[in-house]
Amino acid sequence: MKIALNVISSAKIFATKKIEDLDEKRIVPKMILRRRLTRNTKIMLYLADRCGFENTKIVYASAFGELQASVGITDAILYKTQLSPTLFQNSVYNSAPSYFSLLNKDTDEILTISSGMNSSSEALKTAALQALISKEKVLCVATECLDIENIQEVNNCTDYLEAGAGVVVEVAQNMDGAKEIETLKQNGIIKSLETLMSVVEMSEEGKTKILIDL
Amino acid sequence: MKSFINIYESISSAGDTDELMHLAYAKQSAIEIDNGYMDGIPVGLGKIKGEGFFSFLEKVVQQVLDKSNLEDFKDTLLVVGSSVGGMAESESHYFKDKNYTNIDPARHTIDVIAMHLNQKFAFCGTRSFSTACTSSANALLLAKRLIEVGAYKNILVVGADALCYTTVCGFYSLGVLSSKASTPFDKNRDGMNVAEAIGAILIQDTQTSDSIELLGVGASSDAYHMTNPDPQARGAMKAMQNALDDAGLSPSDIDYINAHGTGTIANDKVEALAIEKLFGDVVVNSTKAIIGHTLGAAAAMEAIISCEVLKKQTIPPQTALKVQENEHLNLSTKEIKKDISYVMSNSFAFGGNNVSIIFGRAKS
Repeated sequence: MKIALNVISSAKIFATKKIEDLDEKRIVPKMILRRRLTRNTKIMLYLADRCGFENTKIVYASAFGELQASVGITDAILYKTQLSPTLFQNSVYNSAPSYFSLLNKDTDEILTISSGMNSSSEALKTAALQALISKEKVLCVATECLDIENIQEVNNCTDYLEAGAGVVVEVAQNMDGAKEIETLKQNGIIKSLETLMSVVEMSEEGKTKILIDL
Repeated sequence: MKSFINIYESISSAGDTDELMHLAYAKQSAIEIDNGYMDGIPVGLGKIKGEGFFSFLEKVVQQVLDKSNLEDFKDTLLVVGSSVGGMAESESHYFKDKNYTNIDPARHTIDVIAMHLNQKFAFCGTRSFSTACTSSANALLLAKRLIEVGAYKNILVVGADALCYTTVCGFYSLGVLSSKASTPFDKNRDGMNVAEAIGAILIQDTQTSDSIELLGVGASSDAYHMTNPDPQARGAMKAMQNALDDAGLSPSDIDYINAHGTGTIANDKVEALAIEKLFGDVVVNSTKAIIGHTLGAAAAMEAIISCEVLKKQTIPPQTALKVQENEHLNLSTKEIKKDISYVMSNSFAFGGNNVSIIFGRAKS
């Protein structure tokens, strides 16, 4: 079942290691809160801010979730050091959108997809369904943060250890002029983000009506 | 389109679905006290008896296929809910090697469950949710909505989580693990039991003679705290009200609530308050006293229990309850046989993620 979505706003960001400027101090002025946030959260907050998102439903995606927190936990277990409760609460895959809801007092539905290398593709389908059901705008964001020590032992899938893409979408009135999602032009992006990153590329080229197969 | 739950199968520390329901009605816990995960510190855990989580996964899904009206799953969407995915396997390599070289990144992810099942059964597509302890609740929410709009005719929801060090030690670090079998809603409860389980539910747009209808889904976010629920229970109430609205029901229509009821101080207090405020006198219990908290699989397991209660028209008693904390809550102190039309199941998770689901007897 295909529907057409209008891409109302979009943003993307990526870096070979750590993304340097996420405008954190403006977006989260309270340092005590800012220090608790995961890297995925900071990227998500940046992308939502760039998209001018106002609180409604969110669909977030990540294939690998909160790797830094997971590694911290397994290291604490392996080396028998104290396991920080904050590390554990930050290790769940829905940390980023949960922090978003906390900071923005968004009490609406938040879904987190983790479908491996299809994560952003499946998230976009889910966002389309949410927009169709609610008749509201939906924020769809996908991020990956693989910038952990010794990641080169397993990383053969991306040149960019931190990356993310976000769009605000609504259901279009009709399918006229809607485009299939194109192949991503940017090389080296992790496959789990390709679909959403491509939608952002298309939006930047003025192609803001896309077809989604639910 | 209406959504019908036509077939389901499960495995947990209690055994299969029949064995689970037998323990539920007999007020027996399947939780065992374990000293291995926490280096000599006893914690109550729910373990599946036997070897091989992925073998059990295949077996449970094969049982659903065998009992269904489908020849294969080529026209079925697989929707998985899991909180840890392949974490146990990654931990095993990392603890042995102290490096990542033998970890397969694809097998580390949440998606490993869908990937494994798709290789064996060839679904028309797969999607995986990971919203901690509401993972399979959100999978059920998606399934209901996809069938409602006519996007799919058959959806298999699988909730699956295996025990791993990260979750056992992580919950211990939060101070919420019980050293014995958990006692939800009891005044003297001291925490939850981490547990593993697999629940598989086939949802279709066509009714069979044995169907249970998936009537309503509702979700919300607390926007309050990462691990503690809103003490005023606004998020929990909003999810339950949204589910009622979706089902076109009022609070007085609900005959039984299968509570999230983890056995932690914070959850049970807030959930009891939410139910008290919204429903008043509805019969409630938590079946986590039997199989523990199966995390990403919990909602699928409790959906199966809800369906069983509707089919048997019998609510199990609350296991392990001695002195209930909230005296206004109508906990099932004994087995209750009554006319049961509608059952609600609650799931709440880290990040203030709340989902409530309503099941009903399908009308012929």
